[in-house]
Order: sequence, then structure tokens, then C-alpha cells
Amino acid sequence: MATTAEDLAREDKLQGLGCSRKRKEDPRFIQGKGTYVDDVKLPGMLFADMVRSPYAHARIKSINKDKALALPGVHAVLTAADLKPLNLHWMPTLAGDVQAVLADEKVHLQYQEVAVVIADDRYIAADAVELVEVEYEPLPVLVDPHKALDDDAPILREDIKDKDNAGQGPRKHPNHIFSWEVGEQEATSRAFDEAEVVVKEEIYYPRVHPSPLETCGCVASFDKVKGSLMVYITSQAPHIVRTVVSMLSGLPESKVRIISPDIGGGFGNKVGIYPGYVTAIVASIVLGRPVKWVEDRMEHLSTTAWARDYYMTGELAADKNGRIKGLRVNVLADHGAFNSHAQPTKWPAGFFSICTGSYDIPVAYVKVDGVYTNKAPGGVAYRCSFRVTEAVYVIERMMDVLAQKLGIDRMELRMRNFVKPEQFPYHTALGWELDSGDYHTALTKVLKAVDYEGLIKEQAEKRSKGELMGIGVTTFTEVVGAGPSRNCDILGVGMFDSAEIRVHPTGSVIARMGTISQGQGHQTTYAQIIASELGIPSDEIQIEEGDTDTAPYGLGTYGSRSTPVGGAATAMAARKIHDKARKIAAHLLEASENDLEWDIDRFKVKGVPGAEKTMKEIAWAAYNRPPEGLEPGLEAVNYYDPPNFTYPFGAYLCVVDIDKYTGEVKVRRFYALDDCGTRINPMIIEGQIHGGLNEGFAVAMGQELPFDAEGNILGNTFMDYFIPTTMETPHWETDYTVTPSPHHPLGAKGVAESPHVGSIPCFTSAVVNAFAHKGVTHMNMPHTSFRVWQKIHELSLDKRE
Amino acid sequence: MAKHNISFKLNGQQVNALVESRELLVHVIREQCGQTGTHIGCETSHCGVCTVDLNGESVKSCTVLAVQADGSEVMTVEGLAQNGVLHAVQEAFMQEHGLQCGFCTPGMLIRAYRFLQENPNPTEEEIRWGLSGNLCRCTGYQNIIKAVKVAAEKMQSV
Amino acid sequence: MQVNIDKSFPIASSAAAGWAFLQNIPGVAGCMPGAEITETIDDKNYKGKVKTKIGPATMAFNGDIVIKGINADKRELRLIGTGQDTKGTSTAEMDLTAWIVDADGGGCELKGKATVTVNGKAASLGGRMMTQVADQILNQFGQNFINNVITLGGDAEAAEAAKEQLAEQPKELNGLAFAWSVIVGFFKSLFGKKPGDTA
Repeated sequence: MATTAEDLAREDKLQGLGCSRKRKEDPRFIQGKGTYVDDVKLPGMLFADMVRSPYAHARIKSINKDKALALPGVHAVLTAADLKPLNLHWMPTLAGDVQAVLADEKVHLQYQEVAVVIADDRYIAADAVELVEVEYEPLPVLVDPHKALDDDAPILREDIKDKDNAGQGPRKHPNHIFSWEVGEQEATSRAFDEAEVVVKEEIYYPRVHPSPLETCGCVASFDKVKGSLMVYITSQAPHIVRTVVSMLSGLPESKVRIISPDIGGGFGNKVGIYPGYVTAIVASIVLGRPVKWVEDRMEHLSTTAWARDYYMTGELAADKNGRIKGLRVNVLADHGAFNSHAQPTKWPAGFFSICTGSYDIPVAYVKVDGVYTNKAPGGVAYRCSFRVTEAVYVIERMMDVLAQKLGIDRMELRMRNFVKPEQFPYHTALGWELDSGDYHTALTKVLKAVDYEGLIKEQAEKRSKGELMGIGVTTFTEVVGAGPSRNCDILGVGMFDSAEIRVHPTGSVIARMGTISQGQGHQTTYAQIIASELGIPSDEIQIEEGDTDTAPYGLGTYGSRSTPVGGAATAMAARKIHDKARKIAAHLLEASENDLEWDIDRFKVKGVPGAEKTMKEIAWAAYNRPPEGLEPGLEAVNYYDPPNFTYPFGAYLCVVDIDKYTGEVKVRRFYALDDCGTRINPMIIEGQIHGGLNEGFAVAMGQELPFDAEGNILGNTFMDYFIPTTMETPHWETDYTVTPSPHHPLGAKGVAESPHVGSIPCFTSAVVNAFAHKGVTHMNMPHTSFRVWQKIHELSLDKRE
Repeated sequence: MAKHNISFKLNGQQVNALVESRELLVHVIREQCGQTGTHIGCETSHCGVCTVDLNGESVKSCTVLAVQADGSEVMTVEGLAQNGVLHAVQEAFMQEHGLQCGFCTPGMLIRAYRFLQENPNPTEEEIRWGLSGNLCRCTGYQNIIKAVKVAAEKMQSV
Repeated sequence: MQVNIDKSFPIASSAAAGWAFLQNIPGVAGCMPGAEITETIDDKNYKGKVKTKIGPATMAFNGDIVIKGINADKRELRLIGTGQDTKGTSTAEMDLTAWIVDADGGGCELKGKATVTVNGKAASLGGRMMTQVADQILNQFGQNFINNVITLGGDAEAAEAAKEQLAEQPKELNGLAFAWSVIVGFFKSLFGKKPGDTA
């Protein structure tokens, strides 16, 4: 504990855990010196571009590439027939299914990749794409997932139509992917039969797209002489990409080098492996030249991984006092044409079973059915842990619905059902062990900060005047930091993560992790962890990620796993170094290890003033004269397999005013209290919360990827797909409590996804609450002015006096 | 395809380029001139990551033909710092945590730079309006707005 | 993206003249702005093309027209046209039934029912204006059809005027030229709705 001014100065100098250190990434970004995939330019590099299907479902009758090949500057046009001899026309998905790399005899979705053109530059490639002639025979299209399992539904996946298992358990129809059940069905039914009050609501969570500002892309470079492959790629998980590329190509994993350079946002979209990557790699191997593929926005929104698309039926059973007796949720999940959602292998619906939320619910049952439709494949975790956004949405909506039915205040109903602080670690009815939480304190703090009583009063006055004002609330619990390898893996690789730290002789540090930042500021925050653990200033600690040749193997960054898993690995590796340093210090100070105490940046001999060695001195000694029997050097690696997930939580409150003539929803106030346990860098946390809230706002108020009856996607440009600008974006107020995780070495939990997960139901809650006095219990997203106006109009609230 | 010799000033340096009629300014800046700070995000003028300064006006270089820039003065993020000294908007973005993944940042900075020439002492509302052509997915804009405000104050006090 | 369109055009000419022209497939195709028959395979199958220009973007569709039925008793023609744009990004299909009826007070009327289906980029990008665009295209088609029938008819003065109008028709479908009428049509559809209608 620093006490004196000198101690405080020493601690400040470290810029360690808990301080708002300025970001080390920023100098290169503000000067235009970042290196994103499209900035990579290799000698002799060619460009790939895709021929895509205008149809959502069609048979390919012929492909004629003669005219394209005749265009000067075109090097190759590849189709499924060309990839077939290499067995690369299909590729495995992370979900146990297969996905066409290039359409093999049939297209299953609009804009599906049919052929790839390789040319000297992107203009020639685009010209050549137009010259490839494809003849299609249109087939009946399946757009509505509710019709997927009908007897007369068109069969989409002829390649697996006779398989009774598509990688995730038994299926009952050629368009059925899986059924996933958790919890006790009979006991839950009993709870509902015996309950005094039961509520039920149909809730649709629309298909949305993470849409980072940088689209996906790669530069593949195969060296024919060395037989090695290097790929620059927009990947949130470069190490698993290396493993997959090795498996697909047959190249030894040691000859494959994957580099995730600076990434212009990921949000879950850049976890999977896309046909563009595979075709660029194949083309580079075939042509022996580097090949760049970078998609445009329309391709990005049309074919890369989207999220959600869950049709949920939520039911709660309770007594008259609002104590919940049971929860039941049934889900129909539209997975698109290939099952390539990115969840841990054993979790076809991700962590959806976290849907008991922050509440003490004795019994629950969840069933999710996944089906194929003629849409893009996906179902990824868009700024959330796997399917947690859907889970939080359904329980938070149902809490509001129950409160309304019982006439109990929504805050009060939550207070009555919260898991109490003394119940932690709390075992949920669906099998999770919530590590820590203090939900009552969080909500109480928020209600006080916003003067909830005052808002209720104001709302009553407004309602009496015929004005529409809504108050929204969510008190969510997330599950992040996948995960314990006993139940989490991707393609069989456990979801641990790793850190390797080297202390140089002069006391500066280089450290590498298996995660990869896409804006989270890892170069800044990981250094802070090491600084506090080792007493070396952050500024002397270099952090590197993303190059599989140098970084230790890790599963990457998504599902808020960097801090819970990578951050833990970093702390544990630092502690190994710390332990060795203690031995060296004891040797240097000729004292017993037990007589040493750690003080910010040095070991001191207890009770002997002046007998001390700084970490810098120890580092030198580690290379100069280590104690006998101890290896020279000062470095460590840790592969951290977390004992549990972490469970960040929060309490959000939103106030909206709705124009009853236009349906415009104005967010007057948004107050977000987050508890992510120990806070590593408050500035970065707050920035991430702002961003997450804004992405939540986008989803709730405007984002959707609609399809017409023919399977044409209608929201695939920024003209249609809603990305809030500065003009729509509300002002954000943030707050926090700190309830450390008991099992994480630092007590930290992960934070950047909470605001997305937590804010979306809060916006809906506010919009619906504006109409609650008219008996409205739920409105589906997005809450665009037009849709809200429809509700106003339906209720005849827009009559002019 | 017919090619044209064009010449323009990029960040104070005269550059010559041989371009097709249809070639976009952003591609010439990035690929021929090798200045990759200016990014491409949507190709439809919505996202603003390609924003550059063309003859003293903010333009989205993904929808400007390179031939239109012939004889003009173009400034990109690479031209903001002078003699190794960062511009006030660059300093302010760092200080106020106005960036995360960094992809929108060059466009945001070059727009902020021009906006503060147009309106040296803006209110928050005016900043929001002035930057509404530039999208950001990471920051929720709050710190960007703060950074522009801080940069304005800094430039006023000089 | 699919739209259904019902149209009728009164023609100041006899039903016989209307029906005569309706059976002239290249002639009828020529009424479609920007369209022409490029090859007659037999009396039931034709090849044709449609060219649209919207600003600097040109979309050219090549396709097939198949005559599904000619019913002289009802003076009715049914045809299906399918096409793919030359860049391979969009496809369009039109299932059209057109017939001639006698109108009150002499003259006749061309009636048509069409289902137009568009797939690909044209649907993704242009879907929201599709009904209005199709409506305007058919209005131009109808006017051309009327002029053609009148040209065939007996009234020399009217025939001359109709010929002139036909000669002035642009040879390709010019998007900008009728953009204004599309926009007017769109607003009419908005404000023309009775309260209580929702889209």
C-alpha cells in the first residue's frame, strides 16, 4: 500500500492497474499509420473479386468464363469445379456443418459466391466479374423459418438431406438443424400448472449485422520455394484460423503464418472463416503470387456473419406477490443456409440458457430449434457472448410483462426476485454458477441517481395530458469469458488463452498474447496488468498480438474473453516471473524468501531499511548472475484455462419522449451502471460502454436485415442499414459499482459487451412503457418512427383535438 | 481504357498520376501515392472514413473521381501534423479517448480539422451536426464530440 | 421483390384494331420503353433486350419472351418474359396477361395484369421504388400501345399525330426522364391513402 508521497509517485510512474492510462495505440491511428488489411501491399499482388448469385435459391446450369479469361489482366477464374479436385469446394463450419466455398451446382442464398476472379487490379477484377456468364434455374425459395419444417417446404441442403445429424444432434426434417433442450421440462410444467399468475409473450429478435466500419478481407501469400503460406487477415481469432487453414490445405501448421494486423472493428463479425479468405488462399497457392480480397459494404452486409434472428416465446410463472416460480422459453432460430454460427462446439444456441438473468428462479426449461432458410449463414455473437443478447432480451422483457400483469412496479418486481448478495456463488436452474454480484445495490444506486420517483410523477402528469413518455429498465447479468475447456472448445481446441512475457536484461518487457485487439486497447491495458504485477512502468512494456508465428496460441477476442481469460493468463504469467524474481532477490539480498516483502516495484527485506532490490536490478541479475540451480533469464508463459465464466452485470435506465404525430422516439436520458469487477482502465471502460450503448441503440431503434418473399436482402447498404450518426446518438451517462470476480486472478470480468446486451431491452422497455397505460405489453424491434407511429395510430393516440 | 495524366498537391507535395477516367480519388491516394491513412468503408458516401480535404472542403474521396482532383490541393490525415508537431485535433482525440479501432479516425480528424476552420467555436449541437457525415461504431461519439470541443478551445487559446 | 399491377388504357379505336396490334409481338415489345425483340425463334418464342439508364448507370437485360397463349375469343394474350442483366447481378421476370375489351361509346380498352418479379441487386437497391417504377413504365407502354393502335386505325389525322409521338419516344428507358413522374406517383400514393390504411 502506497502511503508516502514518494510511494505514490513510484506507483503513478508504473501506470498500472486501475489508472486511466492514455492509449498506446493512438499515436499511429491519429497519424494515419495504422496497418489494416487493405493497407498491405505485397510485390506482385493480385486482386480477387466475386461473382455472386442474384437468386436466393437456384440451380446453376452453366458457368462460362471464356469472356472473363479473355480480358487482359485476368489471371484466373475459379469455380467450385476447379476447387473440387482439391476438395476445397466445401469447408467445415465451426458448428459441425459444411459451407460451400463456391456454389456447388446450387446457390442457397442471394449474393452467394459462385466464382472468383483473380486479376491485376481491383478494376479489372470487377470488369471480369461482369463477364462471367452464369445460367441459373430458379428454385422455390424458403424465407420464413416457420415454414421450414412443413412437409412441402423446398429442401435446401440436398448435400445433407439424408443425414439424420448435421453436426449438432438428431434432426427431424431436411431443413432442421438441431433441437437443444436445457432444464427440467416436467418440473417447469408443474410450476406453471400450479402458479397463481402466468404470462406469455411472443418476442422476435430481428436479424441484425455487426457491420464494423472495416469490411472483411485478407492478403494471402504463398511462397512456392519455401512451401509456406502467410495470410494477413481481418480475424478476431488468428490462431484458430491457422489451425483450420492447415487442416484444409494440408500444409503443416508450422508453415502457415496468420497475421491479424490492425482491425477496424470486429463485434463478432470477424470470428468466422469466409469463402473469400479460402479462395484468396487457394488462388495464391495456385498462382504463386500474393492475392488480396477485400469485400465491399454490400457484400459484407449480404453474406458475412449476422446475428440474432430468434423467434422467442417467453413464459413466466409467479405468485401474486411477483415471486417467480418458473421460466419457460421456446425458440425458433433462423440460421440461414449453412449452420456456421460461431459458438463453442457443444453449444448450438450458445449460452442462451443464461436467460434466467439476475433472478432467483427455482425451475426453468429452454428449447431451441435451429432451421435452414435461403439466407446468409451466421448467428454470431454481435458484441455479446454467444446468444446472451437474446437471453437477456427475453428475460428482461418478461420481467416487464409480469410486472405489468401484476400491477407491481417494475423496479420493485426486480428487487423481489434478484439473487441476493449472500446467495453467491449462485447456481441457476439452467446450470450456471454466477460468480459474484450485488444487484440490489446497483439498481438502488441508479434509481436514486435518476430520481425515479420524480420520473414516475412526471410520467403520470404527461399521460394525463395525452403525451407519450416511457421509462425503460434492465437489470441484466451477462456470462462472458469463454471458457472452461471442460465444456468450451472450438473445433476441439479448448477455449483457454495465453500470455508470454519476457523481461529483458535492462528491465523492459515484451509480452505477447493469444487474443487480438480490434479497438479494445490491449496494448495499453495488458501492459497495465504487467506493470502492477511486476513493478515495471507500463511505458516500458511492449504488447504484441495477432502474429501466429510469435504469439502463443490463443482462441482470440470475442465474447468479452480478453480480460477474463487473456488478462488472467497475463497476470498468471507475470506472477510466475514475480516468483522467480523473488528467488533472485533473496539471493541478491542474502535473505530468506520469506523475509522479503513486495513494495510496488521492489522486494524489501522486512525490518531492514535500505535492503531492497528493484525489479530492474533483479532483471539484470537474472541474466548476469542468477542464483545457483536457477535457470538464467526472466520470462514465463501461461495458458490459462478459467475455472468458471465471469458474470458482469448492470442496471440501466432510459427515458424516452415520443412524438405522437410522427412516432419519433427521442432518448432524453440514458443512465448505465456497470459492474465488471476490478477495473483495469476506467477511461477505456467508459469509452467501450459508450460504444456498446450506441450499438445497442442502433439495434433497438433501427437495425434489421429484411428479406422479400424471393429471398432478396433489402437492407444491405448504409442507405438502408441503420448506423447511428452523431445526430441520432443520445448522450450517455455512466456509473459503476465494483464486485470483483472471486475466481479471476485480478477480480476482473470483461465489460465491452454489457452495454450492448443491457441497453437493447432497456430501449424496448422504454418504448413499450410509453404505451403501457394503454395495455401494450411488447413491441418488436426496431422501434423506427414508422413502426412506433403504426402503434400510435392503431391505438388512436394521434387524434388532434 | 483511356488514361489521363493528372497532377495535384497531396499534403503539400506535388504528385503526378496516370489514371483511368473511372478511377476513384481514394484509390489513387491509397494505392498510387501510398498514403493509406484514408480508408474505405462503404463506397456510397455514407460512412465518411474516406473523408479528405479537397481545395478547402471536406469530400468523401470514395465518390470523387481522381480526374476531378487534377490541379487541386488535397489534404489527408497524413498532412495534419506539421514539422513533427501534432495538430490540436490529433492531440485532443488522444487526450479525450476519441478513438478505439482507429478505422474512422483519419476521416473524423480531417473532417474535424475542416469543421473547426468553418466554425472555430462550436456548441455541442453544432459539432454533432458538423460531424454527422462520419460514422463511428466504437466510441458512441461522446468522446469524439468532447475531443473536438477541446481542440476548439486549444486552437482558440493559441 | 414482386409487384402486381393492374392497368387499363382506353383507346380511341376499334377493338379489332387493338386486338390486331396485340398479336404483333415485336410491335408490342417495342411499346415497352427501351425494349426490343432481337430475334424471332418461332411464333411463340422470341429473344429480346431492355436497356435502362439511371444517371451514369446502365442496366441492360437480355431475355426470352415466351407466348403462353393467344385467345382470339377473349382477345387475350399471355406472355412471360424473363431476363438477366448483362452484368449478372439482377434478374427480372414478367408474367403478363393483356386483353382488349369494347368500351362504352365506341373505342376499346387495353387491360393488363402483370406480376413483375425482380431478383438481385436491382431488388436490393431499388425495391422500395419498384411499384412506382413499374407503374410508370407501364404507363409509357400503354401510351405507346395506344399510339400504335391509332396509327393502324382509320383516322388519318389522329394516326399522323400518334406517329409523331411514337417517333419522339426515347430508344432506351431513361430513368432520369421519368424520375419525376415516379416521385410524384410516390407522393400521390402516400397522401392518396385514406387514414387507417397502413403500408
